[in-house]
Amino acid sequence: MTWLNLHPLTFLVFAPTVLGFLLMALPHALGKLARLLGFLGALAIFVLSLAWLLGHNPAAGGTVLAERTPWFTLVGLPVDYALAVDGLNLWLVLLTTFLVPLTMLGTWNSLKDRMGTFAALFLLLETGMLGALVAQDLFVFYLFWEAMLIPMYFMIGVWGGDERRYAANKFFLYTLSGSLLWLVALLYLANKAGGFNPALMAQAASALPFGVQGWLFIAFAVAFAIKVPLFPLHTWLPDAHVQAPTAGSVILAGVLLKLGGYGFIRFAIPMFPQAAMHYAKPIALLSVIAIVYGALVAMVQRDIKKLVAYSSVSHMGFVMLGLASMTVIGTQGAMLQMLNHGVSTGALFLLVGMLYDRAHTRMISDFGGVAVKMPIFTTFFMIVTLSSIGLPLTNGFVGEFWILNGTFLSGFTWGRLYAVLATSGVLLGAVYMLWMFMRVFWGPENKDEDSGTHHLHSDLNAREIAVMLPIVVLIVWMGVHPRTFVGASEAPVAALLQEIKAPAPRPFILAPAVREAAAPGESAGAHASEAPVSEAPAAHEVHR
Amino acid sequence: MSLTPSQWAALLPLLLPAFGACLVVLMSLDKDQGTTKWIRGAMYGTALLAVAGSFWFLTSLWKTGSQPAFFQLHMDRLAQFTGIFVAVAAALTILQSWDHFHQEGWVKGETLSLLLFSVTGMMLFASTTHFVALFLGLELFSIPLYALVGTVRARSESAEGGMKYFMTGAVASSCFLMGGVLIYGLSGTFDLAAAAGALKAQGALLDPLVMAGAALMLLGFLFKVSAVPFHQWTPDAYEASPHPIAGFMSVATKGVAFIALLRVFPGSFAPMGPVTAKVQTVLAALAVATLVLGNLTALVQSNVKRMLAYSSISHAGYLMLGFVAGTPAAYTGVLFYLVIYLAMNMGAFGLLTAFGLVGEKTTFDDLRGLGWKRPAMGFSAAVFMLSLAGIPPLGGFYGKYMIFRELVGAGHVGLAILGVLASLVSAYYYLRFLVALFLQAPSAEAERLASDRPAVHAPLAGAAVLVSAAIVLAGGLIQYALADGFAKRAIVEGLGLIR
Repeated sequence: MTWLNLHPLTFLVFAPTVLGFLLMALPHALGKLARLLGFLGALAIFVLSLAWLLGHNPAAGGTVLAERTPWFTLVGLPVDYALAVDGLNLWLVLLTTFLVPLTMLGTWNSLKDRMGTFAALFLLLETGMLGALVAQDLFVFYLFWEAMLIPMYFMIGVWGGDERRYAANKFFLYTLSGSLLWLVALLYLANKAGGFNPALMAQAASALPFGVQGWLFIAFAVAFAIKVPLFPLHTWLPDAHVQAPTAGSVILAGVLLKLGGYGFIRFAIPMFPQAAMHYAKPIALLSVIAIVYGALVAMVQRDIKKLVAYSSVSHMGFVMLGLASMTVIGTQGAMLQMLNHGVSTGALFLLVGMLYDRAHTRMISDFGGVAVKMPIFTTFFMIVTLSSIGLPLTNGFVGEFWILNGTFLSGFTWGRLYAVLATSGVLLGAVYMLWMFMRVFWGPENKDEDSGTHHLHSDLNAREIAVMLPIVVLIVWMGVHPRTFVGASEAPVAALLQEIKAPAPRPFILAPAVREAAAPGESAGAHASEAPVSEAPAAHEVHR
Repeated sequence: MSLTPSQWAALLPLLLPAFGACLVVLMSLDKDQGTTKWIRGAMYGTALLAVAGSFWFLTSLWKTGSQPAFFQLHMDRLAQFTGIFVAVAAALTILQSWDHFHQEGWVKGETLSLLLFSVTGMMLFASTTHFVALFLGLELFSIPLYALVGTVRARSESAEGGMKYFMTGAVASSCFLMGGVLIYGLSGTFDLAAAAGALKAQGALLDPLVMAGAALMLLGFLFKVSAVPFHQWTPDAYEASPHPIAGFMSVATKGVAFIALLRVFPGSFAPMGPVTAKVQTVLAALAVATLVLGNLTALVQSNVKRMLAYSSISHAGYLMLGFVAGTPAAYTGVLFYLVIYLAMNMGAFGLLTAFGLVGEKTTFDDLRGLGWKRPAMGFSAAVFMLSLAGIPPLGGFYGKYMIFRELVGAGHVGLAILGVLASLVSAYYYLRFLVALFLQAPSAEAERLASDRPAVHAPLAGAAVLVSAAIVLAGGLIQYALADGFAKRAIVEGLGLIR
């Protein structure tokens, strides 16, 4: 118990991996047992994360749990094994631990073979996501960020649709291209700072010429923007989403994309505040393009899953717009919108998966009159659709409203125009979602022998209802009382933005967890930034 | 003349494989070696024992920390590191050879004996800075390899590959010899460290003949590490060789050549500052060429062995970048990288044997669906390929990390960007391996052929693959132990001693 008390985060992050490897070792014939064990394990992780993370007082915005210990230097820069949960990542962590078992349950019968291996990969992916979310050292963050690719690659590539190999390779290489260039920026800055501690790196960055800061910010931003994905770096997403099995799509939309936005708020913006301010406008412009473009492309899709995929581009555009607004309300809106999108779009992918499992098609034209055959399913789909288009009292409304409000107040030259254009994205969202809904669920029943509707024989069963109910509860809860979910991030976000706009004497701005942890090392870091560039500090002392 | 115990200690790691080689040759005189199982077993057992003995002795030397010497043969930490490295590679090769040659139906003792002689030569090559001993080592490990490449006499490609390797290798060796002779002629000593000191004292560092000598010696090393433009032999030689031998060449030849390069250029030639600076410039240019050409050519290969050959060329590029960075930490990174590379590549070639791919049937199509049939091998394949591509948290990532970190720290940001772009390209062809293993179902014809053939039974090769996978995983999880406890001490205590 003492080990657990000291390392609760290590346990949360790595327990899925341990279980995953055990499941992989199970013989092929025991796939169903592996699936069950995987689900129970993921559920246990969720319960534990709720108990441990909410047991503390998250409203304060401070650190909930933290671990930090020196890890290695590899004859050079020190790397700390530093994990923490604070106001910024608390709810994203909970979203992850929530979505994993939920998705496992929701796609219980979707896979026909190698269920054990799939469950194992899913758990490995959970480790990657949780690790990246709680990492407080950039090297550790990078490790988890890259390691996430591996299980997702196999999930798309092995269990995906007809074009799965292409989609899996594209996903892998696209993401890798961003993160490898980012790695060079990371190494550059780490060499200046004498380590991978974000606080020290931020301090070192502030001492660099503005041009260099700008390049470093771009390297960070591109890596994160690919993950978001921000227009024009989004092209991997439709392929990956459409080809991935349902569970893969849910997690991809639900958590992986969030890591991009989270990367901005946790690292890119606090580490390069000046550069972030400087590039906020172009990012806002790209976000607006993503919102409108994603919505327009979604409108013309014939495949429901592809439609949802493009709606992700549009919705994540809102997240980026909120972050780029550099206002507290906009950023808080982005934080909430990330959770919203995880819940709503995750739910949409689950629902599309349920439909596909029955009808074996996802083409809108193959359906019609589904409401008659599957009333319960239609009800759930309606609720999630409304949440996705941002009806008041659902979660989507609050997030988008805050973001638009923030954009309006951002003080950009064209800020108000951006807000107006982005609002048109909300309208377009209603158009494509409701139009799709109309064609699929309403109208006369499609009696064609080959049609999807014809193959629908059963409405949702108890398991599927059990999956959807918590989602509906969340949708309403987040819409009515969003403070539950963004109360924790308010203080850190406000502190961050205040220091960006009115820089305090302290030259770096980071979330509390990082700042507290970095405090003892500050003097060493200050020394490092004064040292001439050619003498990479401390790193090579061993050899002198 | 009687030797002191310390001199014996320096010699013993080399004597054991040489002695084993002689024993195996004697055993292989038996005409029935191809048919009598116990003779084959005895030959392989002897070879394995010889290598294991050498390994055991070197590790005990490492633990005690003593660094004995036999005249110009310095069994220092770096040499011990090399010996351990080569012994592990040889042991994995011997294990894989047993299964591979049985699959090919061509088991001969000579291959083992040649392998052991090559091991002896490698240990000598990396443990001396006396030019004559260095050259002896080079030839002693190269000549058996020329023969090993052409060992499957029944296949004409094998002979062709062996011949090509021999001809080009002979030219490279002569260049190396010429370079050493020039340095000797100008300095009057065969000891490279003393020669560098003498040249510096004469103020002859930038003498064209000195530069020519250094350049010719460098050429010899670059040929052995298969850097562009001295790489053309690599794909042909690997394709011609039996799989385990190709693995051994890709790992051990490259490894000892890099270690010897380390010992000579930043090591012995340290006093020749301007020369080593020029060498670094040349290495930077050639590393760029190696990375670009190796990776782009690997993209279009359909034969796995040729892909691995070009991949091995491109890895020479990353390792050369470590020399361009030129800090002790970068050299530590090079050694760390070599250890992981040993496991990754021996493992990748071992997979071909473990999957029972014989002869020419080593295309990506021949791999299709095998990952699911043999899950442990498939898992190991994923470990090797992702590690070769440098994806964390595997060992290969940390090797690249250390080298790129030092490269950026030394101000070569452009080279680092090129390096990561090269890794990106490489990820594509390593993924192809995994695509074939996991993402593609076997073709109908392959299924039919597979059902006709007896099931593949390659327990020793499988064990070698698992050991390699364990090393790669360990390199990712306890990287600090390997880097600080092993590689760094070889650099600091080993290279420092010579310097």
